[in-house]
Amino acid sequence: MIEKKVDIAVIGAGPGGLAAAVSAKESGADVLLIERNPFLGGILIQCIHDGFGLHLFDKNYTGPEYAEEMVNRLENAGVPYLTNCMVIDLNEKKELTVVTSKGLMKLIAKAVILAMGCRERTRGALEIPGTRPAGIYTAGVAQNLVNIQNLRIGNDVVILGSGDVGLIMARRLKIEGLNVIRVIEILPYCSGLVRNRVQCLEDYGIPLTLSSTVIDIHGKDRLEAVTMAKVDRDFNVDHDTTEKIDCDTLLLSVGLIPENELSKKAGVNLDNRTSGALVDNFYETSTEGIFSCGNVLHIHDVADYASNEGFFVGEKAAEYAKGKWKHSGGKPVKIGNGISYVVPQYIRNDCNEVELKFRVTQPFENVRIIVKNGDDVVFKKRVLKVIPSEMNILKLKSIDPEKDVEVKIVIIDKNIN
Amino acid sequence: MAQERKIICILCPNCCELDVSYEGKEILSIENDRCPRGLEYASEELFNPARTLITTVPIKSRNWKTVSVRTTKPVPKSRIFDVYDEVKKIRLRAPINRGDIIIENVLGFGADVIATRTVKE
Amino acid sequence: MDKIHDIIIIGAGVVGCALARALSRYKLDVLVLEKEDDVAGSTSKANSGVIHAGYHKKPGSLKATLNVAGHSYFQRLSDELDFPVKFIGKLVVAKKENEIEDLRKLMDRGFKNGVKGLELIDGKQIKHFEPNVNGFAAMHSPVSGITSPYLMCIALAENAHLNGVDFVFDTEVTGISKEKEIFVVQVSNGSIYRSRWLINSAGLNSARVSQMICENDHRMYPCRGEYYITDKVDTLIKRLIYPTPSKDGVTLGIHITPTLDGNILIGPSAEYIERLDDTASTREVMDKLKRESSQFLPPIKEAKFIRNYAGIRAKLFHPSSGVKDADFVIEEDESIKRMINLIGIESPGLTAAPAIAEKVVGIIGEKEALVDDEKFNPERKAPVVFEHLSDDEKARLIEQDPDYGEIVCRCETITKKEVLAALNNPLGVRTLDGVKKRCRAGMGRCQGGFCTPRIVEIMTDEYGISPEEIYKNNESSNMFFGKVKDDREEG
Ligand SMILES: Cc1cc2nc3c(=O)[nH]c(=O)nc-3n(C[C@H](O)[C@H](O)[C@H](O)COP(=O)(O)OP(=O)(O)OC[C@H]3O[C@@H](n4cnc5c(N)ncnc54)[C@H](O)[C@@H]3O)c2cc1C
Ligand SMILES: Cc1cc2nc3c(=O)[nH]c(=O)nc-3n(C[C@H](O)[C@H](O)[C@H](O)COP(=O)(O)OP(=O)(O)OC[C@H]3O[C@@H](n4cnc5c(N)ncnc54)[C@H](O)[C@@H]3O)c2cc1C
Ligand code: SF4
Repeated sequence: MIEKKVDIAVIGAGPGGLAAAVSAKESGADVLLIERNPFLGGILIQCIHDGFGLHLFDKNYTGPEYAEEMVNRLENAGVPYLTNCMVIDLNEKKELTVVTSKGLMKLIAKAVILAMGCRERTRGALEIPGTRPAGIYTAGVAQNLVNIQNLRIGNDVVILGSGDVGLIMARRLKIEGLNVIRVIEILPYCSGLVRNRVQCLEDYGIPLTLSSTVIDIHGKDRLEAVTMAKVDRDFNVDHDTTEKIDCDTLLLSVGLIPENELSKKAGVNLDNRTSGALVDNFYETSTEGIFSCGNVLHIHDVADYASNEGFFVGEKAAEYAKGKWKHSGGKPVKIGNGISYVVPQYIRNDCNEVELKFRVTQPFENVRIIVKNGDDVVFKKRVLKVIPSEMNILKLKSIDPEKDVEVKIVIIDKNIN
Repeated sequence: MAQERKIICILCPNCCELDVSYEGKEILSIENDRCPRGLEYASEELFNPARTLITTVPIKSRNWKTVSVRTTKPVPKSRIFDVYDEVKKIRLRAPINRGDIIIENVLGFGADVIATRTVKE
Repeated sequence: MDKIHDIIIIGAGVVGCALARALSRYKLDVLVLEKEDDVAGSTSKANSGVIHAGYHKKPGSLKATLNVAGHSYFQRLSDELDFPVKFIGKLVVAKKENEIEDLRKLMDRGFKNGVKGLELIDGKQIKHFEPNVNGFAAMHSPVSGITSPYLMCIALAENAHLNGVDFVFDTEVTGISKEKEIFVVQVSNGSIYRSRWLINSAGLNSARVSQMICENDHRMYPCRGEYYITDKVDTLIKRLIYPTPSKDGVTLGIHITPTLDGNILIGPSAEYIERLDDTASTREVMDKLKRESSQFLPPIKEAKFIRNYAGIRAKLFHPSSGVKDADFVIEEDESIKRMINLIGIESPGLTAAPAIAEKVVGIIGEKEALVDDEKFNPERKAPVVFEHLSDDEKARLIEQDPDYGEIVCRCETITKKEVLAALNNPLGVRTLDGVKKRCRAGMGRCQGGFCTPRIVEIMTDEYGISPEEIYKNNESSNMFFGKVKDDREEG
């Protein structure tokens, strides 16, 4: 058994973990970054499309380019890292068990940063009835098989779910000569970014059918067809509208789930809304000295934000490891009308500056985003459009942490306006 | 004769749905734009629509089967598949550095096709 | 193929596998023909995996006696063949007072069938045993257990194979005739196999297979049972939780079964269907499973579902006929000598399988002397399950072989070494599902999301095949259609 001690162990080397490792090191801590894959960069290595780095680098990078920029920063900062090493256990005492090709490693850390990313929702989680043939892939798996493994996953493709990964894969497959028949979305609106809808579907004439879903799957060995039907606002299927679509491949782009199995082992409490850890505004979880950032905390649509979160968390974890502050708990942030979640979920009582990240429950037009601190309105902004697929970030400069903080959406009355 | 088109501006999250009327290479009117960049975008989209092509190239390497590539700047949208056909002919061997030019000035569009990832061995 | 085998077994479900293993202790030349690509390709992989105690079938029936006898083999089989069993016990729960009478009847049957340890407990004791379960009273059956049905089949078949039994997969029996006391068995690819004895353990197809040569009027009424599998929720229940059986006698009712890996199965439903192979899941039943199971285990509503599946019961009767149950058919045909038919082997067929096998050995033994094979080795070692080892053992293994140091399946912590062991299984099964069944890679919450690309890579390297040759479970279930771009170098 290999034994080792560090100030800070970072689990996962995606944009979140890489950033956290860099900033922890730059804040003077002794850091070890541990990655399961044979390479650094996390999910970005398979996201070969562009659209990364606009915020952090002011450049329009592809996923691999963004990752390489981050890895360069890691190497410049001199952060030691392990690849091909998977953390299989973590406890409250911040002891990690790591499988490496050289042996099993026990790593004892003063602070741990969780940056394990997410996994995709599968057919089982969606509960689609029908047969169970070959040819059903989640969009991210398809992305890996096509972009990294160079494999042709099918010929005639239907995509269920208009999440960004699904939209991006629609274009990828079309470019590689597959027949992308249509994208089917259960919501009355496209759940991915407008940019992706326009550039991935409309550019290539791929139809998007809204308020519809797949209600049956056919084919015993390889997929042969799916049945599509319309749904109402409450997702009740209208059986008079069924349409059978012949296809040999079905991609599912129906959501990502933070990968918190290790976090649970360390006793970290999770938020039902985000499926990530409950954190305070230093991103410390309910388990003292364990921090969380990136997609394992809440799903980010933009890698830059995952990295920014990582930079912040790395610094805080380094401060904690040096004993600069103690676990606090703090006061819960209230989630008001129109808001689906807020991160952080708690505000420490020793801070009056906080950054809140949140998503809305549904698309809104012409509304006000309001933050109240006790009875005072501390933030007020009119927005023309907010949609659930975009994360909102706002900074509050001087709040009173003893008083409640509440985020909500207020619909602007057109007549008064 | 004047023609009309709906164009969704994707330059910022507002995603204005622009109603544009144009004749020849001239925009006559634009509606629903919330800022001046909308006009700029609409004229690009109408008269010179261009896109970045992103794909992969099969490689010989110890651990990798592909390297990802892109054009250094957008190429005419209507010719995307012609550029793709050029890239499709290419096979590479490691080592490859990010930024290596794989096709120079592809089809004379002024864009190079470059590798977007480093493959050491 | 002119070779004349002593015995051909049709079907490598649990019955065929148990029989192959039982016969492998004798000096006999045994061949198993199976239409799927692996053992347990049909009903034997899609059931509840429960080792029944034997209280629910009519005293004196084959179902009752072979269940109780079959149960008694499991611990020894598990010790010899290294497949998992766990006698976790069962509660048959009465939701209301008026169901107690039914529980009493069940206990009475149990006593008559020779089942040990049955006791009635009240609602308070239920809470003591299973804090999450609601009920008025329950029958506790401490000897009921669980196994992994496909690991059991694999273990039986591998040991049979080690002792000389051959398995031929992807080979459907399409015709049977008899020439001069020798069976001539035609199969789907046109080949012919010959044998002196023919045993029909073709499960759902057993009636049809028997009628390829025998005259009888058995008819199969397929009855589908659908299931849900939840993500790991070890703490919810410790025992099997069953409702008091329905009065129609068709099934045991929708029950809740903890698996050996910490997941929970909910099901099975019971719907008579048209086709023997229609294992599709349906929306209506999926909803019903959730509704009914949450009646006695409310927290199940919160559980995360990772997959559904369905198995089909080989019923020999339709409830509309008024018949409530039909017994197993296990007999040598009256006019076609040395043809043994095993028909209607539905629940408790998994539990009874070892006893069914011994019964068939008995039928053969009556006709001819069976000679012990002194080389018979009763033991078989299962491949290492890394996740189950202590940290010290894990450390030692990685030092011995770095392939233990690469985790391929992240949800189930399966190492590359385990995937390689599964790829090189003694039966020569080469499908993706075959790998999954053997090492659990891809069976977890992400359902192969993280590991499928890597397993595909390992398979193509290890077998030296192209990705087009990778199949999910049989040759029509190809995973890929070649490369995105041909990877040959120019020129
Ligand atoms: C398919 C897809 C397309 C996207 N497209 C865009 C886009 O166009 N533009 C954009 O800005 N953003 C995009 N995003 C979002 C962005 O990529 C993510 O927000 C970002 O990658 C999250 O970073 P992360 O570090 O949290 O997670 P990840 O990148 O997922 O990294 C997590 C890492 O942790 C490792 N790990 C997990 N568990 C363990 C363990 N137990 N031991 C060791 N290592 C472990 C994993 O192997 C992985 O490398 C996309 C995301 C996806 C999934
Ligand atoms: C929903 C459900 C739940 C159950 N739960 C339990 C339980 O908890 N406990 C229990 O003890 N029992 C249970 N059972 C019963 C048990 O699963 C079956 O009795 C048992 O699996 C039957 O095994 P078998 O080998 O007879 O049939 P099968 O597993 O069906 O095997 C027959 C094999 O023959 C092959 N075959 C068919 N035709 C041909 C042909 N022409 N040529 C070559 N091969 C052919 C098939 O491919 C198949 O592999 C359950 C059954 C169902 C349906
Ligand atoms: S027109 Fe201006 S405001 Fe509207 S989407 Fe384009 S950039 Fe944004």
